[in-house]
Amino acid sequence: MKKFYPLITLAVLLVLPLLGFSTYVMHIFILLLMWATIGMSWNLLSGYCGQVSFGHAAFFGIGAYTAGILYSKAGASPWLGLPLSVFVVGVFAFIIGLIVLRLRGPFFALATLASGEVFRVSAENMDWLTNGTLGIMLQKRLWVSKEPYYYIILAIAVATFLLMKYLISSKLGYFFVAIREDQDAADSLGINTTLYKTIALVVSGMITGVAGAFYMNYMGYIDPHIVFALHDVSIITIMIVMVGGVATQWGPFVGAVIMVMLQEAVRSIGSLGALHQAIFGLLLIFIIIFLPNGIVGDFGKIKRFFGLGRVRA
Amino acid sequence: MRKAITSALFTVLFAFGAMFAYAEDLNLTIPLPLTGTQAKFGEIQKRSYEIAAAEINAKGGIKGKTLVLKFEDSGAKPEVARGIVEKLIDVQKQPIIIGEYTSACAKAVAAVSEERKTPYMVVVSGADDITQQNYKYVFRLNSPNANYADGLLGFMQAVVKPKTMAILHESSDFGTSGADEMAKHAEALGIKVLLKEKYEKGAVDFKPVLTKVKSLRPDVVYMVSYVMDAALLMRQIKELRLDANLFAGGAAGFAIPEFVDNAKDASEYVVTSTLWSPQVKYKGSKEYAEKYKKMYGDYPSYHGAAAYAALFVAKDALERAKAWTPEDIRAAMKATKMQTAFGNVQFVDKNGYQNQNFIPTLALQVIKGNHETIWPKTMASAKYLYPMPKWRQRK
Repeated sequence: MKKFYPLITLAVLLVLPLLGFSTYVMHIFILLLMWATIGMSWNLLSGYCGQVSFGHAAFFGIGAYTAGILYSKAGASPWLGLPLSVFVVGVFAFIIGLIVLRLRGPFFALATLASGEVFRVSAENMDWLTNGTLGIMLQKRLWVSKEPYYYIILAIAVATFLLMKYLISSKLGYFFVAIREDQDAADSLGINTTLYKTIALVVSGMITGVAGAFYMNYMGYIDPHIVFALHDVSIITIMIVMVGGVATQWGPFVGAVIMVMLQEAVRSIGSLGALHQAIFGLLLIFIIIFLPNGIVGDFGKIKRFFGLGRVRA
Repeated sequence: MRKAITSALFTVLFAFGAMFAYAEDLNLTIPLPLTGTQAKFGEIQKRSYEIAAAEINAKGGIKGKTLVLKFEDSGAKPEVARGIVEKLIDVQKQPIIIGEYTSACAKAVAAVSEERKTPYMVVVSGADDITQQNYKYVFRLNSPNANYADGLLGFMQAVVKPKTMAILHESSDFGTSGADEMAKHAEALGIKVLLKEKYEKGAVDFKPVLTKVKSLRPDVVYMVSYVMDAALLMRQIKELRLDANLFAGGAAGFAIPEFVDNAKDASEYVVTSTLWSPQVKYKGSKEYAEKYKKMYGDYPSYHGAAAYAALFVAKDALERAKAWTPEDIRAAMKATKMQTAFGNVQFVDKNGYQNQNFIPTLALQVIKGNHETIWPKTMASAKYLYPMPKWRQRK
């Protein structure tokens, strides 16, 4: 039964647009899949390889700006940004990796956080390229209806899911986990840790970059504060995986459901007013205290205690 | 298994379906930033929309329907704002969209409205290019950012006659476009712009950049900021004893009462451009301002007045529209010609803008802890104080 879960989910996701949901619900689904993709990519680097990144906004933003600059400067279709961003973000991720992968633990986290901010400030000031804080706006998006966007992001998400599955079950996946558990031990076993950490970072960055390019095409407007946002991109990415389940295949997806769908549902309860953020914050704290391995990671615990009960370390 | 899927789908449907209710009333949901750094501006607008709705309902509503306002918090995030508006158009079938505040959100909303052919009235978002996209369904009540400083420039030309200027602005769409326009106008008037620098919005220490300004000795220091930065800038200018002939602000953070509350005596003599003040002589504006003050203890800023007026503009258009279809409402909006508490409203295509309302902008000065209108002279509520004393001469 269990091995059919991916297929069942895929089938449900494929027929979703045919069920006649409103564009609003479709918008939420599109954001959900986008965030699930970003979550999966973060999960590869930080969940499996143990390099906790606080700077995924850098990759997201570079991807978005690749598409945006293609449109605003080269007059090309911003959709070309999707394939191109793989390359551009790959190069940038490699360069960032050269610098930040020398560091470990909290120093790595802080260095990635800084790299995200560096790119934001650069994008704000390189007016000739990025149009600065005025941002880049698409005169007209390619489609008005949601379905094309939905299927594109679904394809990206499915491809990412399969890629992750393949990587994790391959030799690379074992190297990643070995590095996470003990980098020095992995080193002494003859694993070229720098190489494999770089691979994890570059692959992770590329996928986030594609999601960024998709964001540009879908939303039609970006500025540095939106796509290089520390909180609204980098931290949300981390939260998605933490809530869903670190180093689990389904964690990012479940996390995205919570962070996008549940958040929207809580926000939409009119009577809460501005309190919705506090309520949602409490919910997250609750999840993290009682389910430290995320919803997927602690699913057994949920089953046993139905969400309330003792915490077993 | 099927049971599991069905129940999952029902949960999703429930989550989204539970929020909508239909009635004979005219439901109008307004997206606004009610949390986060822009919440102050959202709050002023929310209160003003509510005052306007109460007045409209007291006089029989719109075509006999009671106006029921709801607000949704976008937290100043474009993708959330977009989601809200998709819901309004597609689920609630709202015939007209009003609201949002930051330019980034307004752009996202404008794009949706245009694609979905639903009229959208931008109420107080400044960025020029919102109404420069050849959008047919996007209307803007406030003047574009490029015109914000007109009143202030008039004052500068007639009274201050500066030769040099330094411009500081926050790193946002609003800040940058405001600063660029000011630089352009200044150069055209022969004022030399010595420095144009942006700072991170929400920063706490402006002393490095202010020291730089001080060393350049400009005649005018012009700043474009939202609320907290505006007060901090003036306080640090005071601490540094940075003297200039004029400290000027570009609306937003300088034009709301919180600026005076937060900056205290450092705000004295500061001149700011604005689109409206409680002292203007538009019909109904004084009544609105007094009502707001009575309810909330402070006079509203132009953000509130625009929101207040926006609801009347919408009412007017909805009453004139033959049917409540987007096409008819758009036609009615286009034909709008009315007096509001925010000035005369008419949506015209001019100077590269489409469906843009132009209203004269004013200059305010903080005099004894109050914003007084000082320019243009015909609208002044107090005589301007100029020249202003240097910091060390103030007690």
